[in-house]
Amino acid sequence: MVILETVLEATWEHIVLVYTTLFVSIAVSIPLAFAALYSKKLEFVVMKFANLVQAVPSFAVVAIMVPLLGIGFTPAVVAIMLRALLPIIKNTYIGLSNVDPALIDYAEGIGLSQWQINIHIRLPNAYPAMFAGIKFAGILANSVAVLTAFIGSGGLGEIIFQGLIGYNTSTLLAGAIPAIMLAILIDLSFTMIEKKVTPGYMKG
Amino acid sequence: MSTLQIIANVWDKHLMTMRTIEHLQMFSIALLLSIIIGVTVGVFIYMKPKTANTVLNFLNIVETIPDLALIVLLLPILKLGAGPTIAACVLYSILPIARNTYTGLKGVDEQYTYVAHAIGMSPREALFKVRIPMSLPLIAGGIRIALVFCMGVVTLGGLVAAGGLGTVLQNGIQLYQKDVILIAGLWTGLLAVFLDGFAGIVEKKLHERYGTW
Repeated sequence: MVILETVLEATWEHIVLVYTTLFVSIAVSIPLAFAALYSKKLEFVVMKFANLVQAVPSFAVVAIMVPLLGIGFTPAVVAIMLRALLPIIKNTYIGLSNVDPALIDYAEGIGLSQWQINIHIRLPNAYPAMFAGIKFAGILANSVAVLTAFIGSGGLGEIIFQGLIGYNTSTLLAGAIPAIMLAILIDLSFTMIEKKVTPGYMKG
Repeated sequence: MSTLQIIANVWDKHLMTMRTIEHLQMFSIALLLSIIIGVTVGVFIYMKPKTANTVLNFLNIVETIPDLALIVLLLPILKLGAGPTIAACVLYSILPIARNTYTGLKGVDEQYTYVAHAIGMSPREALFKVRIPMSLPLIAGGIRIALVFCMGVVTLGGLVAAGGLGTVLQNGIQLYQKDVILIAGLWTGLLAVFLDGFAGIVEKKLHERYGTW
C-alpha cells in the first residue's frame, strides 16, 4: 500500500523538478533564439545540434549525466534541460524568423528601434510557435523527470521504481497515474499562460 | 590499460554484442508493427474523415503519457519481458505515422486523382497506385519520428527486464561504474543518431523521387 502523503510529496517534487527545468530552459532558449536571428553560424549550430540530440534516447542522456555530474537534483535538471531546450529554441527561432517582413517594414517605417521591433513585433508574432515548442518540451520534461528518479532526483519516478523492484501493481499505478495527470496539467498551464501573454489584437 | 582495452573489456563483460542484437531486434519488431498499424490507421481515417478528429485526438492523449509510465501501465497486462516495451513503442509511434499518412493522402493534388480516374483506375487503384506513392515522403517523415521514439522506449526497456542496451546502462548506474555508463550511453546514442541519419537519407531520396513541393 502506498500512503497518500508519499504520493503527494513525490508529486510536489516532480512538479518542482519539471517547472524549474522548464523555466530555466525558457530563460536560456529565448535569448539564444534571438541571437540565432543575427548569426547564421549560431543558427546552423543550434539547428544541427537540436536534431542530433533529439535522436539520442533519454535514458542514455540521463545515464551519461552520472559519470559527468554525479547523482541528485542538479544532474537531473541538466539531463531534462538537454531534452527540453532544443524544441523550445527551435520553435522560437522558427516563429521569430517567420514574421511577415511587411510587419517589420511598417515597424521600421514608424521609427521603432531594432530592440522595440524584437520585443513588440517579433516576439508576440512568434508566440504560437514558441508555446507549441514549450508545451512539447513540457511533455518531454515530464517523462524524463520520471526517469531521472533513477539517478536520485526524487519525484514520481521513485514510486514507480519502488513498485518495479517489488513488482507491486498498486505502487506502480500510484506513481504512473499522477505522472500522466501532470502531463495534462503542464499542457493546460502553458495554454493558460499563452492566453494571458498574447496581446488582445493578436487573438481571434 | 589503453582506452581501447577498457572499451573491449567492458564490451565483453556486459555482453554488449548480444545486448545490441536484442536491442535492434526489439526495435525492428516494434517499428515494423508501428508502420503496419500506423499506415493502416492513417488510410482508415482518410477514407472515413469523420473519425479523423476523434482518432487523432485520442492518439494525442496517448502521446502525453510519460514513456516509463506507459510501459509500467502495460506491465500488469503483458507481464515482464519485451512485451510491454514493444507495445509502448507501437502506441507511441502510431500517431506520427498515422498523422503523416493522413496529411500526405489529403495533400495529394486533386488533378492526379482526376487523371487516375480518367485513365480508368478504380478508386482503390487510385489510392494504392497514385495517392499512397505520392504521400510516401511524408509517411517516411512520420516513420522517422517513430524511429526516434522507438529507440528511446526500447532503451527504457532495460528497466523492466526487456533486455537490450538499457540493461547495460541500468547495471552501470546501479554499480556506479562510470566507464560502463559512458561506453553504453555513447554507443546507444551513436546507434540512434546513425539510424536517424539513415532514415533522413531515405526520406530525402523519397522526396526527390515523389515530392511535389
